[in-house]
Amino acid sequence: MMAILFTLFAPIIGGFMYGIERVVKARMQSRIGPPLLQPFYDFVKLMEKRPMMVHSFHAFMGIVFFISTWFAMAVLMLGNDLLIAVFFHIISILALTIGAFSVRSSYSIMGAMRELIHLVSYEPVIILVVVAFYLVTGSFDYRMILSADTIPLLKLPLVFIALVGTIPMLLHKSPFDIAEAHQEIIGGPDIEYSGPFYEAVYTGRWIEYVYVFFLVFLFGGSNYFVGGLLVVFTFLLIMAIDNSTARLDYRKMLKFAWFILIPLAIVNIFFLALGGNS
Amino acid sequence: MSMRSKSPWILHYNTGGCNGCDIEILAALGPKYDIERFGMLNRGNPKQSDILLVTGPVTLKCKNVLRRLYLEMPEPKVVVAMGACTHGGGVFRHLYHVENGVNGIVPVDVWIPGCTPRIEAIIDGLIEGVEIWKGKTKEKEYLVGHGDDLLKKIGAIDD
Ligand code: SF4
Repeated sequence: MMAILFTLFAPIIGGFMYGIERVVKARMQSRIGPPLLQPFYDFVKLMEKRPMMVHSFHAFMGIVFFISTWFAMAVLMLGNDLLIAVFFHIISILALTIGAFSVRSSYSIMGAMRELIHLVSYEPVIILVVVAFYLVTGSFDYRMILSADTIPLLKLPLVFIALVGTIPMLLHKSPFDIAEAHQEIIGGPDIEYSGPFYEAVYTGRWIEYVYVFFLVFLFGGSNYFVGGLLVVFTFLLIMAIDNSTARLDYRKMLKFAWFILIPLAIVNIFFLALGGNS
Repeated sequence: MSMRSKSPWILHYNTGGCNGCDIEILAALGPKYDIERFGMLNRGNPKQSDILLVTGPVTLKCKNVLRRLYLEMPEPKVVVAMGACTHGGGVFRHLYHVENGVNGIVPVDVWIPGCTPRIEAIIDGLIEGVEIWKGKTKEKEYLVGHGDDLLKKIGAIDD
């Protein structure tokens, strides 16, 4: 029951997280910042704009992005395993990039290419995280992980660090906001969306927040307090990093992911497998 | 309707001014004046913006770009012209390369006086623009005083 409610309200929870993010970010820059409900005001505003699309397939792909992100969330929550949810998330990103490739705007195409590089960077780490969960708890089902008697974080410290390193790539936060790159390619894959169609992409991004921070929460295991603390800590850390760094080159991102984060996660899993579950 | 007025996204375009105005806009985004309090964001993308904030005297090369940006914004939208340059050329008036202001190129809703305008004036002007924006609808607004051939040339007839 909780799972169904959580799935249904995922966009709203994500919207609140985005609102909190904007306020926290503003406070970090000693600004007052927008009201907490700002994402929902934006939502209503985008609804009232005149629908304008490049072509119908492009608009359709924006909506597919929203639906498939939500669907990935549903697969995650409603009892199928984590691994399949990760693959559904890949499908949602592919929908976005296919849409972005289908228009002639060079910014959009460049953004789509960079989005794929993002995917190549963070997705292996996410899959390794899921594998590590399997090694610790013996299941891909999040309910088993949440009722495991150990705290996965204690066995998977390096995997957790790797996951924290990938969150800026997943959520397009500052050192790795290469695909979105405001002031450079102005939103990347979302650039050609407008009005209600942009709304779909915008809301899809909120669901990604929930999806990512749910993965972080799983590291608390059955101890929900630790999970909650981890989420808050990671959230603030990501905001601080976002505010204090400048955008990097896509090669740096790829190198960081493949030469630092993936080896970190693999070393952790390796020792776990050697040490065994004894 | 009232919810809508809380999230105006701004497209800022400099049509060849001296950059004084642009720096003031950046200052308005900063901690002291922080226009994000009103939900305003500088999007830099015409397709997702609601307020076109123009500065500069419109050089001849910029003219069509400005028009195009205006047409790419989905309605409802407002145009806010900022600085003496946009009003009639300002210090660039009657030079060989300028249009003497944005009037007649895009329909302007709010004029912000000054060279450069104070940030308080910018915020006032933007709030005024939001008030006008509240009353607008999804109806298409076209360039006034131009024939069909121009609209066809920039692709505005059947977008
Ligand atoms: S109005 Fe004045 S400050 Fe603004 S761009 Fe023109 S000359 Fe510069």
